[in-house]
Amino acid sequence: MNRPADPFQPVSKEALAFVGTNPIPAKPYYDPDYFQLEVEAVFKKTWMQIGHICELPQPGSFIVRELDFAGVSILITRGKDDEIRAFHNVCTHRGTRLEQATEGRKSMFSCPYHMWTFASDGELKSAPDFERFYVTDKSQCNLPKIAVGVCAGLIFVNLDKSPEQSLADFIGPLAERLEQLPVARATSFSEYTYEVDANWKLTYDNFQENYHLRFIHPRSGEAAGGEENPFGYPTQYGFHDPHRTQTIWSNPAPKVKPFQMFGFTKGAIMSMKDGLDMTIKDYFGIFPSLFILGNASTPFSQSIMPIAHNRSRSVIRLYWVGEDDSATRRFAQEFALATALDIHSEDRAVIEAGHKGLASGALQHIHFQSQEVLCRHLFKEVDKRVQAYKASHAGEKQ
Amino acid sequence: MSSANLLPEGFESLSPFVEQWAIDRSCDRLQARLNSSYEEREVFFEAGKGLAEPALALLGQKPSKEYSEQEARLMNLVLTLAHIAQAVEIQRDDEDFHAGYAKYITISHSAADR
Repeated sequence: MNRPADPFQPVSKEALAFVGTNPIPAKPYYDPDYFQLEVEAVFKKTWMQIGHICELPQPGSFIVRELDFAGVSILITRGKDDEIRAFHNVCTHRGTRLEQATEGRKSMFSCPYHMWTFASDGELKSAPDFERFYVTDKSQCNLPKIAVGVCAGLIFVNLDKSPEQSLADFIGPLAERLEQLPVARATSFSEYTYEVDANWKLTYDNFQENYHLRFIHPRSGEAAGGEENPFGYPTQYGFHDPHRTQTIWSNPAPKVKPFQMFGFTKGAIMSMKDGLDMTIKDYFGIFPSLFILGNASTPFSQSIMPIAHNRSRSVIRLYWVGEDDSATRRFAQEFALATALDIHSEDRAVIEAGHKGLASGALQHIHFQSQEVLCRHLFKEVDKRVQAYKASHAGEKQ
Repeated sequence: MSSANLLPEGFESLSPFVEQWAIDRSCDRLQARLNSSYEEREVFFEAGKGLAEPALALLGQKPSKEYSEQEARLMNLVLTLAHIAQAVEIQRDDEDFHAGYAKYITISHSAADR
């Protein structure tokens, strides 16, 4: 029996008050000293997503990633034994950057300086005239390892030499939900990037609230907004230790343009062909700075990489499951790419404007409304770690 | 080659658009959109939107590596149309304003590129 759908009701402010109601201090969003504390307390101690297993399709495949905030270059390899490993991309002789390419396939990595050569499992295989060194155990010169793990196809690293948590413990029960998403089965992706003169939290927060959508995306977001939910607020929020989720509201009467409908339909045809779950509408915020939108038609991830206290980089990927290169698939992928890119490009200027205003010192506090609860939750999780770090290093010279 | 056989049979009406819009890579398709005029986008979209469906039907009959030169051009035209549709149908008279934002974006990898 059909009955009218219940009208949309946003999650009430009372239901979200447990996360906090007070204004949030503004200084941590622009202060260089606070950023340095974040680097030490969060980014050097937390699992960070830096790639996907589809980038390492076969033994010998490798990728190189730069973590600007730490000045670290990471070499990630798939070994002959199929195992994925991560190393500092540094020759153990004199510290020279080992691999110059950003991706490729090779069984050995040779340092250009003195030709020390390493296998994809990090073992030093050869070093010219090695008997003249005073090192007796060659294994002391293997590449320095970095903790690495995979969840839902996503590759995470942790710069902490002894991570406090395994990746599985860090992701927790969300792992099961992430494994259901297209990203977990992806075999290819499209990617676009931009840098912005803004603190990483401001860049990230822009994607944690829908309050701005109707003002910043009046055209590109036209199909999403509706009379009963003009702000496009989500239907629910979830809090999972440091992580958080929201469930996207589906407009029952979207204002879709004719060619837009053509593009979306082609995407839906491919998603159904690939057996993707069309009902998933979840948006995952994985601490500290990764987003994953799990819906089948625009399955994107967004990784916000801090560069400095006042600069960050967004890396947005749309992950694809199907292997064939049919004309319809390529068109659907291009259309989804162009659609998502339009929305993301509109956010950049307002993020930068926000940083500029806060960095002027004009405001002591930021007021988050209840539907910006995810922004509040991120700050609380970051600040908890920063304060604990400060307490444990009290008395040390900075 | 004359413009008459730049594209597969049935798509000759799109030949005038090949030079500007039959573009190999996603990053260049975006740049072509951002560097084009309102009139250029409008006339291409009007000519192409009704031919996208038959083009995909024709091109779907074989893998892309087996495309003839004419078919490859047609595929690239349809892929560029995915970008131009955003400008003409969605952004409309906001496109110039919007392009001021989009110029900061770099497409670094595209699954649609072959």
